[in-house]
Amino acid sequence: MGKIKEKIDVNEKIEEELKAIFSGDIPWVTIVWDDPVNLMTYVTYVLMELFGYSKEKAHELMMKVHTEGKAVVSTGSREEMEHDVARLHEYGLWATLQRGDQAL
Amino acid sequence: MSEVQHGFFRHGDNAYLANFTEAEREVLLNLAEQIIELLAERVDHHNDDPLAAMVGITVHDTPPEDEVLLRLLPNAYADQVDASEFRRYTESTLRQKKQAHAMAMRMHIKAAVDGVIELDHDSANAWLGAMNDVRLALGVRLKVEENTHQELELLAPDDPMRGVYAVYSWLGWLQESLIDALMDESQ
Repeated sequence: MGKIKEKIDVNEKIEEELKAIFSGDIPWVTIVWDDPVNLMTYVTYVLMELFGYSKEKAHELMMKVHTEGKAVVSTGSREEMEHDVARLHEYGLWATLQRGDQAL
Repeated sequence: MSEVQHGFFRHGDNAYLANFTEAEREVLLNLAEQIIELLAERVDHHNDDPLAAMVGITVHDTPPEDEVLLRLLPNAYADQVDASEFRRYTESTLRQKKQAHAMAMRMHIKAAVDGVIELDHDSANAWLGAMNDVRLALGVRLKVEENTHQELELLAPDDPMRGVYAVYSWLGWLQESLIDALMDESQ
C-alpha cells in the first residue's frame, strides 16, 4: 500500500512541475520596504501575527528590511500575494508585490 | 506629557490594560477621530454605478494626491498600470479597515471606566494599527527620516512642530508598551 501511495505522490508532483513549466506559472513575492516611522518591534509583531512566523523568523526578516532596505516576506500565487500586501497595508507596513523572477 | 509610567501591561490571559489621564484620553480620542475623517471616501460625484460602489469598486485608480493619504494607502505595485488596477478594487476596503481600527480605539476610550482601557488580543491589534496610522500621518508632516530624530528633539520650544513631535514620540512609546505586553504572551 505504502508503495502505491508513494508512486501517486511522485506523479502528482511531476504533474505540478509540468503544469508550471507549460503555463509559465512563476511564483510571485511580497516585499516589505524600510520605513523610518514603523517601530522595529512593530514590524516584527505584524509579521508574526499575519504570517504566523516565529519570533526568530519575524525578527530576522525585520532586520533584513532595516539593514538592506527591503525583504521578501512571502511567496506564492499572484492572488495570494495581493492578499498579503492588502493585509500588510492594513497594518501600515509599506509593501509591494511582483513576479519572483524580477529583480528586487 | 504622560503621567503613565508603564503604558499598557498584560493582565491575565487575554487582557491588556492601560490607565490614562483625562488629557491623554482626549489626545487619543482626537487623533482617532481625525484618522476616521481623513480616511473617509473621496467625494466623487461621477461615480454613478451604485452596484460597483456596493461591492467596493471605485472609479479611483490614481494614487491620492495628499502625501499623508498616499502613505496610508500606498501603491501595491511598482508598475503604474497594475497599481491602478489593484487600487480600483481594494482602496475602498483598505480605507474601511483602517477606519474600523480607529473606530475601535475611539469606542474603547469613550467606554473607559476611571480612565482604564481594557483590550483583548483582537482589539489590541486594532489599537496597534490605529496608533501606527496616526504615527505614519504625523511622521509625514514632521518629515521623519532615518536620521532626523536628533533634529526633531532640538526643535525650539515655540515651534508648533515640537508639540506634534511630542505626541508622535509618546504614541511610539505607548505602541511599544502594548507590543511588549502582547509579545510576553507569545513566549
